[in-house]
Amino acid sequence: MIIDVPFIWTAFVEILKALPLTLLITTGPLLGGLLIGIAVAAVRINSVKIITPIANVYVSFFRGTPAILHIMVIYLGFPLFINKLASYYGWGFNANSIPIVVFVLIALSFTAGAYMSEIIRSGLLAVEKGQIEAAYAIGMNRFQSMKRIVFPQAFALSLPNLCNIFIGFLHTSSIAFIVSQKELNGAANIVASNNLKFLEAYIAAALIYWMLTMLIEGITALLERKLTVYNRGGVV
Amino acid sequence: MGKAFDIELIFTSIPQLLSYLHITIWILIASLVIGSTLGLFIALPRIYKVPVLSQIAAVYISFMRGTPILIQLFLVFYGIPALLQLIHIDVSRMAPLVFVIITYSLSTAASFSEMMRGAINSVDKGQTEAAYSIGMSGKQTFTRIVLPQALVVAFPNFGNLVIGSLKDTSLAFTIGVMDMMGRGDTIIAATAHAVEVYIALAIIYYLVAIILEKFFVKSEQKLQKHDQPVHV
Repeated sequence: MIIDVPFIWTAFVEILKALPLTLLITTGPLLGGLLIGIAVAAVRINSVKIITPIANVYVSFFRGTPAILHIMVIYLGFPLFINKLASYYGWGFNANSIPIVVFVLIALSFTAGAYMSEIIRSGLLAVEKGQIEAAYAIGMNRFQSMKRIVFPQAFALSLPNLCNIFIGFLHTSSIAFIVSQKELNGAANIVASNNLKFLEAYIAAALIYWMLTMLIEGITALLERKLTVYNRGGVV
Repeated sequence: MGKAFDIELIFTSIPQLLSYLHITIWILIASLVIGSTLGLFIALPRIYKVPVLSQIAAVYISFMRGTPILIQLFLVFYGIPALLQLIHIDVSRMAPLVFVIITYSLSTAASFSEMMRGAINSVDKGQTEAAYSIGMSGKQTFTRIVLPQALVVAFPNFGNLVIGSLKDTSLAFTIGVMDMMGRGDTIIAATAHAVEVYIALAIIYYLVAIILEKFFVKSEQKLQKHDQPVHV
């Protein structure tokens, strides 16, 4: 047999050490993307002149191009830009001193922002208009009705989409190995080439990703049951 | 080396990259055709709740949706030669393109089968009953009544799947396929300018994605014509 089964376990333990970086590259962009997404969704819902078309192009461009290109353009282009500024203003500072992971986080935040804005927008639009009217009718102001009525429901409605984007970005983080990040895939690559056991290392990495995905799905299912309590039918 | 950023290079590299677009499209079409055929056969045991087979299909789908495409690519690239070696077939000289198409087909099959399952379950049960009552067999009911309606339901999701796969093809170069990304690498090596080439690639991918999206929106309108209110 060519597959060295015990080595899968060795590789598993070795690759698992890269988990914190994968989690950083997954959650960092999602949080950054959430901020961008909220701003973009607000602009797109309230149609502001000039800014709304720009936001539309941003969303469609980042959703229409592969994430690897976002990473490459930011990773290669940002330092050029920063160095130019630095030499112009005479900062004693060079983009080479910035860790690569920062560029990955920036790039994927832009990617996540585009997807997040769509999730937020569809979540907000899915809340019935009558709910807002009812909130106004009982004397809530705009902020209160947003905070107490719209957001909780929009969040519950968006949960499946948020779960999907979380899993999507967990998987996207595997691209970071191309700019030599030692996350799960990068670690698998190193373990594989150090021991010349490629298949075993990637099986171990696949198992880790698979478990993480199932974990995320499990947590989402639990959360969903909690959050949609208000919406449950039945008599008890 | 000249300028740090040469905007002209973006425009000069686009035609060079476009001459490799057909490889990307070929990967996309081949994996979609193979993947959707395979996906339909994976969906069937789950819809008809065939014991054992439906559990195997569920695990397969969960695995394919639970691991990044990049990892799947490496698994196929190293795994298939290892498996075939067991039966003494040497595929070490096989083109990387074959492994890419296999990987994307397997991955598309998983997404496609979930999509079809949802669509088939959304077709009203009364349709099946009506088909049975006029004497159609199980197979006839499926191919003539349920499947056509399910395809219409699944169509918008299929559009997203195609555009998603298009973006995934950008990873094929990691196992040495000479597609647009691979050609981009050679231009970078020759000109020592990278950002410009990646911007050019982004423009091409974006345009292809827009064209596909427009095509799917138009086709969707055509497909759903029968559902629209009649104007007299």
